[in-house]
Amino acid sequence: MEILWHKKRWINYLILVLLGSGLIVFAAKNDAFLYRQPIMRISQVKNGHPEKTTDEYGNHDQQTQQVLTGKVLNGKHRGETFTLKNTFTRSHAEDQEFKSGQDIFLNLYSSKGKKTTAAFANYKRDVYLFLLVWLMLCLLLLVMRIRGLKAISSVLINFILFLLLVKLDISWNITNFFWIYAVGALLFTALSLLIVIGWNEQSRVTFAAVTSGTTAALGLAVLVMWLTHDNGMHYEALDFATQQPKQLFLASALIGLLGTVMDAATDIVSTVFELKRSQPELEFKQLFASGRQVGRSIMGPLINVLLLIFFTETFALAILYFRTGNTISYTFQWTMSLGLVQAIISGIGITLVIPAASFLAAWRLEWKQHHDNA
Amino acid sequence: MTTLKMLIIVLAILVILVGGKKGFMALSSFGINFCLLFLSIILIAGGFPPVAVAAFSGICILAITIFMSDCGEKEANTAFIATLIVLLLMILLIAPLDHLMQIQGFSTEDSEEVEAFNLAIGISFESILLATTVLSTLGAIAEAAIAVASGMHELIIQSPNISAKDLRHSGQIIGFQIMGMTFNTLFFGMFGSNLALFILLDKLQVNFGYYLNSKIFVGETCLVLYSAIAVVAVIGVTIELVVKRSNVFQQQ
Repeated sequence: MEILWHKKRWINYLILVLLGSGLIVFAAKNDAFLYRQPIMRISQVKNGHPEKTTDEYGNHDQQTQQVLTGKVLNGKHRGETFTLKNTFTRSHAEDQEFKSGQDIFLNLYSSKGKKTTAAFANYKRDVYLFLLVWLMLCLLLLVMRIRGLKAISSVLINFILFLLLVKLDISWNITNFFWIYAVGALLFTALSLLIVIGWNEQSRVTFAAVTSGTTAALGLAVLVMWLTHDNGMHYEALDFATQQPKQLFLASALIGLLGTVMDAATDIVSTVFELKRSQPELEFKQLFASGRQVGRSIMGPLINVLLLIFFTETFALAILYFRTGNTISYTFQWTMSLGLVQAIISGIGITLVIPAASFLAAWRLEWKQHHDNA
Repeated sequence: MTTLKMLIIVLAILVILVGGKKGFMALSSFGINFCLLFLSIILIAGGFPPVAVAAFSGICILAITIFMSDCGEKEANTAFIATLIVLLLMILLIAPLDHLMQIQGFSTEDSEEVEAFNLAIGISFESILLATTVLSTLGAIAEAAIAVASGMHELIIQSPNISAKDLRHSGQIIGFQIMGMTFNTLFFGMFGSNLALFILLDKLQVNFGYYLNSKIFVGETCLVLYSAIAVVAVIGVTIELVVKRSNVFQQQ
């Protein structure tokens, strides 16, 4: 009986998810009136004859011209028909092939007495972004129930704080902008711990552990950079850098480092506190040892998480380098080394926070016991 | 000596100091995974199909991360099966969505970086993206699966007569802690690696619609969302697998 009921609830849930997805897709597909930039729905596509291309490294590809026609969905030019050209390659590195029914943003150029002309500005992707967010929320609710929303709200609040920091950085425009992010890191830590753990002894100890671990790791990294005179660090390879690249690199390394160090510290401190709660007779030495035990077992997987996150981001660029006749060492230096350095700094942070968190948690509990007894 | 080499030496010393024998294992699995990733890049650049290469190295990375980690054989088996199921599910989710979203390759913001290159290199950037997205989620799902599986096995050993409902409930509690913290790693990782981009976008004073539609921003956001979905999914799958197999474990 219970299983039957369970099955029925499953089906209801599935229907709800699908219905919600349908609604979101329908709404987002018709949200053109919310945008100021003109959006065109492609109604007709004429593909030219594909041309074979070969570059000096023997890479074969195909280039195709297409003519797109469609009607504008919003704004002043609503209902008008425009035609524009597009070129795409088979590998789609920086281009794409359009099909009828897709929506694109346009830049319209009009001058007096002449016909308004249109150029492609951007592809409309919001439909799928909303859909993916919806799917994630549904899955989170299914697996974690209401608790899952707490984790998401922590992320959202941190994201807003992050955007505010970026705004501050730009409006103040100070030379040592690294310190804006350093102070921000303290706020990030405090906020996340408050939301996930709450305001208590445990979160205070975790905060101290995260701060000391992060500072020590970044300090050590800066020391190594100074000792080796930044040998082999191509800061100019940093994408989108509009400020002093080395500081920018350190700031992004700090934020990346913070997440993992928090991950490790929370695990260790909560285990030590839990142990003391269930077995109050445990002393400093045993608590310290079991904290380090936890740390050791999470260290390996965590360092691997970092390697995968930072390394896979460089895949596309590295393949482009290899295909255009660059050597392995040159490609490595210019596309991967900065990401790898960032992963290694975070790895150092994990190793340093393990003894720090174990010591702080065990010491604090021991101190508290003496204090209570006295 | 280059900075990278010295940092690697510092990390190696610290890992072994803190972790001892386990540290050595962690270091070797880091090394093997690095070589696997590097090999995948070279194979894809050499013309092998990206998705097949990623599936192969992905399964190897999962096996290495899980079986070289510090947990029992039964837990490792459960975790490995759970991650394989999620790996397959993620490919089924990512492939159609990425095709619809068209976030592969390089964006207009990247054009300065790649303008010296002829981009028609004859490899489908869509499949490269699928390969990298799947690979980037693996570390996080392996970590979550190991933690949930070993936590629940511990519980079964402590109280062998635990009911399926209680077991599932404690699995959710363990999973919640893991998830909250893994989200931190993922999202701060994303903020950190995209700090320069965020500064640039703010300087350009782009509007809200840009964030919802631009290739680069949607692409980066999806990468994190996929990882988050994969982590939540792997927690759910691991819980169900342990509950299903718990009778077998209890009899042994």
